[in-house]
Amino acid sequence: MSFVLSLLVFLPLLASPLVYLLTRMNKRWGVYACLGLAAVVLGVATYISWQVIANPPAPGQYLLQEQYSWISFKSFGLDYFLGTDGLSSPLIFVSALLTLLAILGSRKLIDKHEPEYYALIFLFEGAIMGVFTSLNLILFYIFWEVVLIPMFFFIGVWGGPRRKYAAMKFILFTYAGSTIMLLGFLYVYLGMMPVPSFDIPSLAGHIPIGLQYLPLLASFIGFAVKLPLVPFHTWLPDAHVEAPSPISVLLAGVLLKMGGYGFLRISIGLFPKASVQYAWAFLAIGLFSMFYGAVAAVLQKDLKKMIAFTSINHMGFVLFGAYATLVSGNLLGIQGAILQMFTHALAVGSLFMLSGYIQHQAGTREIPSLKGLGLTMPRTAAILVLASGAAMGLPPFASFLAEFMVIAAGISAYTITAVSILVPVITAGYFLWMIKRTVLSLPEGTEVHDMDLGDLASFAVYLIPLVVLIVASYLILTPALPVAQFLRGLA
Amino acid sequence: MVDLITIAVALLGASSLLLPLLQLYNGRNWNLSGYILAAVLGAAILLVAVFTLNPTPVPWFGSLLSPDQLGGVFALVTLGVTLAVVVASLDFQRTSFNPVYYSLLSFTALGMLLLSYSTDLLMLFVAWELMSLPTYVLAGFDKRTQSNEAAVKYAVIGAMSSAIILYAISLSYGLTGSTQISAVAQWYFSHPASPLGGVAALLFVAGFGFKMSIVPFHMWIPDAYEGAPTPISTLLAAATKKAGFIAAIRVLLAVTTLYVVTRSPLFTMANVFAVLALLTMTVGNVSALTQKSMTRLLAYSSIAQAGYILIGFVAFTADPTSSAASLGLTGSIFHIINHAIMKGAAFLCAGLVLMQLKRADLGAYNGLARRMPITAFTMTIALLGLAGVPPLNGFWSKLLLFLSVSSPQFGWLAVAGILNSAFSLGYYAWIIKRIYIDEGESTERVKEPKWFVIVFAVLVGLMIGIGLFPQQAINFASGAVPNVLG
Repeated sequence: MSFVLSLLVFLPLLASPLVYLLTRMNKRWGVYACLGLAAVVLGVATYISWQVIANPPAPGQYLLQEQYSWISFKSFGLDYFLGTDGLSSPLIFVSALLTLLAILGSRKLIDKHEPEYYALIFLFEGAIMGVFTSLNLILFYIFWEVVLIPMFFFIGVWGGPRRKYAAMKFILFTYAGSTIMLLGFLYVYLGMMPVPSFDIPSLAGHIPIGLQYLPLLASFIGFAVKLPLVPFHTWLPDAHVEAPSPISVLLAGVLLKMGGYGFLRISIGLFPKASVQYAWAFLAIGLFSMFYGAVAAVLQKDLKKMIAFTSINHMGFVLFGAYATLVSGNLLGIQGAILQMFTHALAVGSLFMLSGYIQHQAGTREIPSLKGLGLTMPRTAAILVLASGAAMGLPPFASFLAEFMVIAAGISAYTITAVSILVPVITAGYFLWMIKRTVLSLPEGTEVHDMDLGDLASFAVYLIPLVVLIVASYLILTPALPVAQFLRGLA
Repeated sequence: MVDLITIAVALLGASSLLLPLLQLYNGRNWNLSGYILAAVLGAAILLVAVFTLNPTPVPWFGSLLSPDQLGGVFALVTLGVTLAVVVASLDFQRTSFNPVYYSLLSFTALGMLLLSYSTDLLMLFVAWELMSLPTYVLAGFDKRTQSNEAAVKYAVIGAMSSAIILYAISLSYGLTGSTQISAVAQWYFSHPASPLGGVAALLFVAGFGFKMSIVPFHMWIPDAYEGAPTPISTLLAAATKKAGFIAAIRVLLAVTTLYVVTRSPLFTMANVFAVLALLTMTVGNVSALTQKSMTRLLAYSSIAQAGYILIGFVAFTADPTSSAASLGLTGSIFHIINHAIMKGAAFLCAGLVLMQLKRADLGAYNGLARRMPITAFTMTIALLGLAGVPPLNGFWSKLLLFLSVSSPQFGWLAVAGILNSAFSLGYYAWIIKRIYIDEGESTERVKEPKWFVIVFAVLVGLMIGIGLFPQQAINFASGAVPNVLG
């Protein structure tokens, strides 16, 4: 039995107290240790992703499984059960990458309570790895809840002026959602008597249809808050705007993916029959979120808030693609959804990080007051244009491919959903308008205060994989194929 | 092996009687008596633990006491909390806690030890009074007016509940001709619908309910907890309340299992407990949300937790032979253990804040993380545990409890419990926000005495440790379940 996945989860969790002590003793060395440890975790994640790419597990199968009995008492049993497949491995990789980049970006942007900050980053990373690798519903729920705690403190302690409000709103929304999700899990468990189980592989495909409706609704609420879907999204603009930029990167790049992952692994994976019956509703909600996010983004003056609404728009694609496959049988939808999660993480992650730099250098994030970045901050402006291109879904960034696949699958489900093609158009529109106002306008002053080459290089790490992926999209799509086949087969 | 508990009883008895003499002998160093009591309690815990881990089924004190695992669990919990209270008292108010204070604590501990093992109604009542009477004095030990008022209120309510219990005992003796709990239970089994028996059962619910802080017998709790010196509030919330539960488990469950109060199928004991559980957790949580003072908030949260514990009683009384019953009762006992740890930690933190900052309102907690980082951390873990956030200990016991009542008949109670649990995070998170996110009046470090830090470290270790490895604790709790029906 392999122990790589446990290493992936527990290395960051154990690193957490260690970096706390190190950073307390010496900030400089503490940050170096953080970078080193995050790089090691990224190495482990890369190894795992490579394993999955090299031998993609067959539909319904998982790679690198670990299973031990954790609690067993009378009829109640609970396993520590980890595994990975083509759905989780891209998310594992991108989470490890973004954690490293967030730490890199935090050096300049975080200047108080560093020991606690870095300790919480690793707590977050470990918990998120647990979410993406758990194959037991209760274990999944535990990691899911643990993720909330560091995020609550990130927003509340290191956030902007309205951080208190944003932190409380975040925790109350997401906790309420996940409690309802837990109710759904318990309902399934008890409904499966006399052979109850929390293990995802043994539940998938074996839950009678009568037992699927209520848990589908419960898990929908839990995941819709995280993804987030309109109207469960109101915590997100507040949380994003108040969170420090490296944390916005993790929030948009990693935390939202928990919702998308949950929809694919649990809502569809465990309750496929009920999902198919109500797929039209999910498609409608997804479409509505896409449009709502795009239109709301047009109206934003705050750069960060605009990017936050872009996230709502982009994550709507994930839900839309997933359910389009269920209706039409066209595998592009789920494959596109998985690719979309990966590309969105990097594209929007880079935009959030960039907004942090812009605020740091220019002192504001208000789009109307940011003028002439092309002359005063040429490097920043160049990255802003490229990252916007990635977010718009402009070739040669792989986000183009993802959105294309999702829209294609949507059309094969219901032709009317062809209107979704308007979403990228609106997105392109407000990004270009933002670029026109910030980059192409005339500056008010002449002083140049740009990012240094090191920071510039860190942005390359966000954007280069997106370009590579449009050529080598098989890296994600090939392992994603059996996942899509499996989910379609269930329905 | 039975001698081990006899030795523990003798040690506590001796310390109760002899500690006041120190007042004559050494008028300066009050803490000496605290150290002695801590040592005695430590020894007693060790003795009980050794006995509980190597049990020998020998009748003990005739049929009055039975040294079973159920008693062992409760003896360990209550003595452990008392030890934490004694240790915290060492630093709390050096001047006013004299040897009499420690002697009274010792009496209470002795009462709780005997109560844990009682299998006879009269023995149980004597132990109950031995535990309760000293706490009436202790609640008013701090000679502030509010403390005295709270103590008087507590004493009057306590006396009333004792009277109710005594009346219930006399009724059940009149009906059954025995004070032996197993004999009483036997009678109830063969007379499942005696109206007078029903009255006695409901009187037991009311009498024990006062100590267990079940709604509607909870009114005294917030006042008493707020007025009493905080170590004593800790004792009341985390120890004597648990004594209420052991009495309820021994008597009520034995007496009322399968018992139908009237011939109507609606009015069964399981339904009575279900309604009480729902009321208790909801009233506790909703009232906690509006509190302005920390001790009152914790008091209401303690009421809410009693509601969760009652859920296991519902599962047990509904069908005592089912696996849901043993799951539920295990959950109850496990949650009692967890609640003692979590609430003990929370109250000790509140006590330390009160002692160092001289404030009990929630505003005192603003920015506490800068001023008292260890206390702030302990408080946070305790509150998250009370809210049932995984992977802390409170999560597991609540999960067992909710699973136990997920039959179609009582599924609504599980849903209500989970929603209550989610709701409670509302006010717990608000305190955590004050501690870590809000700015306080000052950022100056405040001293955290070493005894408190040691106790906090042990409690945090238990909360996280049980949370990560719950199997052992579940086994320990479930080992006590077969003792319930004798």
